[in-house]
Amino acid sequence: MLAIPTAILEAMVAHARELDPHECCGILAGMNGYVQEHYRITNILATLTDRELARFDQAKLSDLQRLPPEQRADIAFQMDAREMARAQQDIRAKGLQLQAFYHSHTSSPARPSQTDITIAMEFENFREKLHLPEPLHIIISLEHKTSPDIRAYRIQNFQATEVRLQSL
Amino acid sequence: MIKVRIPTPLRSMTGGKGEVESTGGTIQELIDNLDSSHPGLKDRLCDERGEVRRFINIYVNEEDIRFLTGKHTPLKDGDEVSIVPAIAGGSL
Ligand SMILES: [Zn+2]
Repeated sequence: MLAIPTAILEAMVAHARELDPHECCGILAGMNGYVQEHYRITNILATLTDRELARFDQAKLSDLQRLPPEQRADIAFQMDAREMARAQQDIRAKGLQLQAFYHSHTSSPARPSQTDITIAMEFENFREKLHLPEPLHIIISLEHKTSPDIRAYRIQNFQATEVRLQSL
Repeated sequence: MIKVRIPTPLRSMTGGKGEVESTGGTIQELIDNLDSSHPGLKDRLCDERGEVRRFINIYVNEEDIRFLTGKHTPLKDGDEVSIVPAIAGGSL
């Protein structure tokens, strides 16, 4: 279970709506499954060069390259590494821990894509060595614009399992 | 020797290996040495100005080099360097 204050949930939906049709992304921090802090992170995907896009797998890469750069952030996100590092530093300074990464799907359901799962597993390779707690992955779906759907998942062994979200 | 952890997308350049060893007194030297043994690796890590690309975090042990002295961060024998792409994903 992950408990999130209503104000933070609303701020996450507001973030997703502001960037729609682009995907938004961010980080939640707190303690023991209770979220206390919300960090918006810039989605820099649209500014990546073709060479930088090579970090995505072949299937995703060809989807991305078919689109003009300004539309690529509609179907993908890439967190700004510097902002992510700064958030991690702030989280540590506040004595909190990483709880979740979130991003939006602007026209598809709140379910992790194959790319989401592959990249989450890539992060898992490093996580323990960097002494970070296991994050959940939250997706905000704006598929139905008036009723956003927010769901959280645990991603392990290339499988996503839904975890209950509770608003406080 | 410095142990360097390589992320999955870059393992095609290290013969599939997730960890390689190299040397260097600073991050910059380490990246240059890595590029000699694995040509093209530097280009994947750094932009035209030699700065670490905006979607990559490099950690020395557990500390991000952006909060140390960036590419001039000193290294010593036994340090562990992790190259970690920032979280990404998509909807397809
Ligand atoms: Zn996604």
